[in-house]
Order: sequence, then C-alpha cells, then structure tokens
Amino acid sequence: MHLPEHIDFRANVQSVAPHIPRSVRQATTRFLGTRQAVVDVLGNERWQALRQAGHAIRLHTLNYLDDYLTRLEEQVVAAGGIVHWARDAAEARRIVLDVMRARGVRRAVKAKSMATEEIGLNHALQENGISVLETDLGEFIIQLAGVGPSHIIVPAVHLTKEDIADLFTRKLGVSAPADPLQLCAIARTRLREEFLAADVGISGANFMVAETGTLVIVTNEGNGRMCTTLPPLHIAVVGIDKVVPDLNALNVLLKLLPRSATGQKMSAYTSFITGPRRTPQEGGPQELHLVLLDNGRTRILSDPLLRQTLLCIRCGVCLNVCPVYNHVGGHAYGFVYSGPIGAMLSTQLLGVRAAAALPFASSLCGACAEYCPVQIPIPEILLRLRRRVVEGDHSENAVAPLTLRASARVGALALRLPWLYAIGTQILAFLQKPWQREGWLTRLPPPLQRWTMVRPLPAFGANFRAWFRHRANVTK
Amino acid sequence: MSVTVNLFLTCLGENFFSDTLKDMVRVLERLGVRCEMPDGQTCCGQPFYNSGFHDSARLPARQFIQVFSQTQGYIVAPSGSCVDFVRHHYPELFPAGTPEHARVQDIVARTYEFSEFLVHVLNVTDVGAYFPHKVTYHASCHLLRGLGLRQEPKQLLRAVKGLELVPLNEEETCCGFGGVFSVIYPEVSRAMMEAKVNNIVASGAEYIVASDPGCLMNIAGGLQKIGSPIRALHLISVLAAQ
Amino acid sequence: MNSREQILSDIRTALQRDPQSPRQPLPASARVAARVPGDASAEMQMLFNEITRLGGVAQHVPADELTRALEQLVQQQQIRRATCWNTPELAALNLPARLTQLGVQLVSPHADPRALAECDLGVTGVDWALPETGTLVLCSSADKPRAVSLLPRVHLAFISPSALRADLDSVLDEVKGERYGVFITGPSRTADIELTVTIGVHGPKALYVWSIVK
Repeated sequence: MHLPEHIDFRANVQSVAPHIPRSVRQATTRFLGTRQAVVDVLGNERWQALRQAGHAIRLHTLNYLDDYLTRLEEQVVAAGGIVHWARDAAEARRIVLDVMRARGVRRAVKAKSMATEEIGLNHALQENGISVLETDLGEFIIQLAGVGPSHIIVPAVHLTKEDIADLFTRKLGVSAPADPLQLCAIARTRLREEFLAADVGISGANFMVAETGTLVIVTNEGNGRMCTTLPPLHIAVVGIDKVVPDLNALNVLLKLLPRSATGQKMSAYTSFITGPRRTPQEGGPQELHLVLLDNGRTRILSDPLLRQTLLCIRCGVCLNVCPVYNHVGGHAYGFVYSGPIGAMLSTQLLGVRAAAALPFASSLCGACAEYCPVQIPIPEILLRLRRRVVEGDHSENAVAPLTLRASARVGALALRLPWLYAIGTQILAFLQKPWQREGWLTRLPPPLQRWTMVRPLPAFGANFRAWFRHRANVTK
Repeated sequence: MSVTVNLFLTCLGENFFSDTLKDMVRVLERLGVRCEMPDGQTCCGQPFYNSGFHDSARLPARQFIQVFSQTQGYIVAPSGSCVDFVRHHYPELFPAGTPEHARVQDIVARTYEFSEFLVHVLNVTDVGAYFPHKVTYHASCHLLRGLGLRQEPKQLLRAVKGLELVPLNEEETCCGFGGVFSVIYPEVSRAMMEAKVNNIVASGAEYIVASDPGCLMNIAGGLQKIGSPIRALHLISVLAAQ
Repeated sequence: MNSREQILSDIRTALQRDPQSPRQPLPASARVAARVPGDASAEMQMLFNEITRLGGVAQHVPADELTRALEQLVQQQQIRRATCWNTPELAALNLPARLTQLGVQLVSPHADPRALAECDLGVTGVDWALPETGTLVLCSSADKPRAVSLLPRVHLAFISPSALRADLDSVLDEVKGERYGVFITGPSRTADIELTVTIGVHGPKALYVWSIVK
C-alpha cells in the first residue's frame, strides 16, 4: 500500500533537486502577490471580518458534526443521491469499487481530489482493471510522469514546458512543442475524448451543504464540470470535515477560498450539484454517489485545539507563505498534504509512528496562521503535536527514544537549581577555550555540530551577573 | 514615583549577549528606571516546551515563577520569544486549579518585552541615543506575530539621532533560527538563514538590528561565515549608543 | 454497528455530545455585512469590466444590431454549428432563426454530448450575475441543459439587468431551490504549465456576454 511507514523529512530535504524549490517559489510568490492584490481591493477590515466569520462557521459545524452530517445525508437522498459512509481508506476503496463493478465501469475520469489521493484510489482501481485518468491538467501531467505533486494548486510546477512537451511526445504519441498554449490544446483534445467516453466521473468536493444536500466544487479548467456532467455515473469522495451548515455559509467561504488560494475573486467555475439530473434532457449524471470519508478525522475531533486542524478549506496559502515549504517543496513532506497543513494533518492521519518528523518541520514563525483564511492556530497545534511525539498524550504514546526523554528531564531538573545553572554557564565559558577562535566557535561536538555545520556559534560569555553585582556594590 | 524593572535575563541573552544586558541596564537607568536582578532565575523553559517536553518545561517554569513572584514592579526581557512564551504558555501550563496559577497571572500581567516596555509603559520613543550609521531591521517572528509588535522597534530606531533606517527585503520572513529547529533540520535552517543574509547584504546597511538573541546568533553567525563587515546588533545596544 | 452508526457514534464521543441536546445557532460572528450596490448602470459596467479583465468580451448590443453582432461573432470565431437553450427569453430574440440565416447549423441542446462537443457555439441566458466578481450564474433544467455552456468552444450568454445581484449572499438565497447551478467567472483557464496563464482548457475558450438594449 501507498501509506508511508516512516517519513524521514531530513533525508527527503537532503535529496531534493534544487530546481524544485526554485519553481515552487515562483508559484508561491505569484499566488501571494495576486492574493494581496484582491485582499487590498476588499480592504483589510473586510478581509479580517471574513476570516473571523469563516473560523466561526467552520468551528460551529465541527462542534455539531454528527447533526450536520445526518442532515446532509437526508438532503442528498431526498434529491435522489446515494450516500455511503467509509470508516477508513480501505472501506472507501471497497465502496467505490463495488459501485463501479455493479455498473460494469471500465473507464473513469477524475477531477482533482486530495481525499481520493489520501485513500490511494487510483491504484486500487487500476489493480482492478479500471482505467483512471486524471483530468486536472497538472494532475494529468504528473500522472503521465509518475511523480508526486510539488504544490497543492499547481502540482506540476516543478516541470518545465520542455519536460512536459517531451512527456506528451513519449506518452501520448503526438509531436508536442514546448509551448504552454499548444500543450494545453493537446491535453484538451485528448481529454475531451475521455470525458465523452468515460463510464464514471470521480470527484471530491470543496464543500458539502447540509441544508440542501449540495456538493460545491471549485475549479478553473472546466474538467471538474466535465467529470461531473458527462459520464452517466458520478462518484464523489469527500472528507466528513467538508460539510457546512447552509448555502449562506458559502457567502463567506467562497469569498475566502479563491482569494487565498490563487488571488482570484472567484474561480472560473464553481459548481453546485444537488443530486443527479432530474430529467434526461437536462444532461448530467443519472446516478450520484457520495462517499463520506472518516479515515482518522473523528479521532482528530476529540481535542478542542487539535480539532481546529479540520477547519482547513484547502486553499494552500499556508504553503505559499511558509519559509520551510518554500525551501523544500511538497515532496519532502512524504504524503498528499504538504506545508503547514501537511505537518498538522498528515501527523494526525498517519500517526506519530510514521510522521513524527513533521510537527518539527517548522520554525514556528507563525506566518501561516497570519494568512490562514479560517484562522487555524497552526503553531499552537504543531506544539501540541510535538508533545505527542516526545511525551505522548491520550491519543498516542510517545515515540521519542527513552534516552532523549530522560536527558530532557535531567536538563529541566538542572534548571530548577540556580547554583547548578550558574556553575554550568561558567563551565561552558571555560570548556570552550580550545574550540574558540576570535569570539566564535566553529566546531562543536554532536549534537551541536548541527549548528556549527551551518554557521559559527558566538562564544559563551556569561559575565553579566558579576558586572551587575559589582556595580551595585560600588554604588552602595 | 520611580519605576522598578526586574531584569529577565533569558538564557541565550545571559550566555551570548552579556553586553546587550549591560546596555539594557544603561538605557533603563538613563530613563530613570531602577533595575533589579533576581538572582535565582535560570531559563523560562521555552526550549523544552518547543521541543514537545511540556511536562518537563514546568520544572524551569516553576523556578521562574518562584523567583519572579517575589519581585515587585515590572519584569522586562530583551527577547520577544521568551516574553511570548511566558505570556501565552505559562497560563496554559498552570491553568486555574494549579497552585502556581495565581502567581502566573500576576507575573504575566507585568512582564514585557523591552521595546514594548519603552513604548507602551514608559511612553518613550526617544531615548537620547546617537548612532550615525545605516541600519536595517529584521522583524523577529515571536515579537511580530506572538506579541503583535510591528511598529515599536522601528519607532525607537527612527528616533535615534544620525541613524538612517533602510528597508530590508522580506523583513518579516523568518531567519531560520526557530530554536531546536536549527539543529533538527540544519539544511532548511541554512537555506532560510542564507536567504536572510543575502537580503541583509543587498540592503546596503552597515548594521542589522533585531530584538531576539536567537535571531541575532543565527544572523551574526551567517554574516561571520561569509566574512561580511555587516554587524548584527541588538536593538538595545543601538539605543544605548550615545 | 454499521459504518454510518460507527462514525456518528465516534463523532459524538469525540465531541462529548449528547445527540438529544439541541444544536446552538450559528454565532453572530459567522455573518458579514452585505455589499451595498451602486446604481443599475454602474453595476452593469462593473460586471462588464470584470468580465473583460478576465479575458471575456462583454458588450451592450442594440436590439436592431443583433444580427450584425452575431454575424461578426460567427465570422471571428468561425462558427459553423451552434446550440441554444430552449428558453422564452432566447426565443423572443429569435436567435435560432438569426443564426440559421447566417449559415450556422443549429443542433438541439438535447442532442448527444458528442454532437454538442462538435458545436462551435453554445448560447445561453444568465439567471443571476455578480458585478463585483464578474460572475454569471447558470442553473439547469430540461430547457437549459448543462452542456450548452460547457462543451462548445465559444459560450455566448445573454444577460438582462434584472439578473444582477449586489452580493453573493442574495444569489445563494436564489440558488437554494435549484438542483444544479454553475457560477461562471471568465473563460476556462489554467496556470499549471510553468505558471503561464492559458485561457481555454476544457471548458469554453471564449466567453461573450451581451446585454440587449432597446
């Protein structure tokens, strides 16, 4: 299976090709710039009011999640849709496969959906003889290339147009020039055929509206509309945390999402889908299946602070503004979700045994929290997850080695003793002598050599207290 | 009516920035403030907390509470991150119902970061400093986002005679210190530090000023490594210059 | 316990929620003030400006110049086949007849998707519009099939001033009773290849928005 057993963030970082962070940074700079422009048009006051409202709506929904999910199901069913509940990834895959097999599905087209990547759906379908084609251009490209996404919104941004032209030539059997416009045209023609021939369209949803049973899908290319309109069967796999109370909630969330994500006032297409088509003349799928996915989300709900991880509306702005992400790109995070949201969500979905490295993949600068459209207290959540890693909590046992935990305890105890601390500072000032040169320490023993391998440390020199005391005596 | 400040030295400040601490006393005394130095202080516990050792962090924190609860007057530190930790995490570590809670509430109410103290408690921006140099400013993350102090350090710098404050590209971007982060992921820390150092060099300044010992250690080391003549200085040392 | 019961039970346990206890209403902080609109012509102009900014073409067309405008469009975009919504508003404009006169083959909006995919032009009305973002809202029905604004290469939308709404909130109130709606803001686009913005990916490559003036 595709789930990572152990994410080694440091090793991943060390093996990142330098062109990846470079292209990632171009994307993030672009999106932050366009975001700022549309936020400026609204004005900071209106923007902050929206953020506050977004936070309130999402938190309220999570606090009554069972209620809203029940209502959602009622409404989807009343509109003629079919609702399935999946406790975990395996069950979700099984449900989708069963629905498809019962209808003799052979060809699937897929709109971009992180939930389906989270459960490894593509692989499962392909293993069962069903062809799955990613139709979002960036996803289509990385599917052809067999690589993972480097950015949530533009997953193929680390590939040059030459790379893509070469890819299309080899895999699609066409003569593809290295020109974005023409490459798009090639993808359009190729995928159009697929949209028209597919037996099923698979999608996620950005939001699910409990009041009306509506799936809301935010896209730009039109592939989302194609996947959910042309094939006779539509299957949506959506995390249970995506529900919102009513349509009016979207008044706030749709104002936050496109602006935060790409600096657009509205995406090119926002689809509101309530059940399958009513009449054949209308067009659209005859059957609509909604698979509600838990896969660890209910566990996250149990702590009021960590619960706020689920406020996320998947805009990607935390990635764009994160200095760590900007220097390493998406692959380093080892799972579908990267950047600050990845550090929070992957850790809680995969568990600390696999993902202990992630809560520490942050300098806690807080830029993400400043930009998050729904005010997720990201650094606070990361700090709490760090505690889970080294001390354990009600949810999971600690995974940090016993020796580390013991030394931390010893160090902490030592700081309860001011005389020991005072001696310590003097000892350090003394012990460093052979290592010191002109006020700097350029080499230190492990583990502190991880500091000096990057830059020198100023020499230890604790002499303030003596100075202060002497001064006080002199003035007496 | 005289104002008393109990100096919160900070472990990094004490071990690596003794001169800055001395300057802090000089500036405060120049402003008519009486300085006390509670001797039993060690470390507020932030490095433990940030590493995930929340339980262990309570040990040094209790020492801090014990020492500073016996003081009168303000508690002032030359570090945004330490003050942010005490202000926002001590109440969480010692919630209502714990024996330390009342003392923590008292301490939190009178603990300030240095520039915050000058501007918002003493209502002073001009401390009579003279520093005729080109200076650029790095906004430390916890000072900026944890304590919400965006303008105050710059207000103080702009009031310094002879000082020319030049803008720093990506002023508010993290320098890559992040405490334990710098030793857990040194490669990423390096990339962030080098980006900050490049921006500093490009600013044309002679001095880079910040308000957090952690940032300063990181940036100063980075400048030293490339043999740059630019010097990293704590805001307090600029204010002490006459 | 089936999965549904298990998940709901897990949620209630996690939230420490008693399913009998009533749900509190959304807090006041969950609402934001609605946008105050300008006068009607300023609103229409704002809509047109946004659509233009996004790479669409928006214009007022005098009623007696409709055929001429259509002729220009047919020539510019090389329209050979077109499909239209089957609504009274479009019928009142006599669109099918005008297009046929211009040598354009009319395809039924209820035709097979492959036939619709071969249309160069899809003509629709607009149910509601949002000037602030340049958004057109199109709902669907037997007379307003979804594919008309999706499959053809060019999308021509006729808008009436009465469709304009000041704020997204009011449009959402209108959409509440509908089973399907798409909010269209400009022609389709992507920046997936080297961040180069390319107009016209899977959805229509060109968007025309016309307001008929008497």
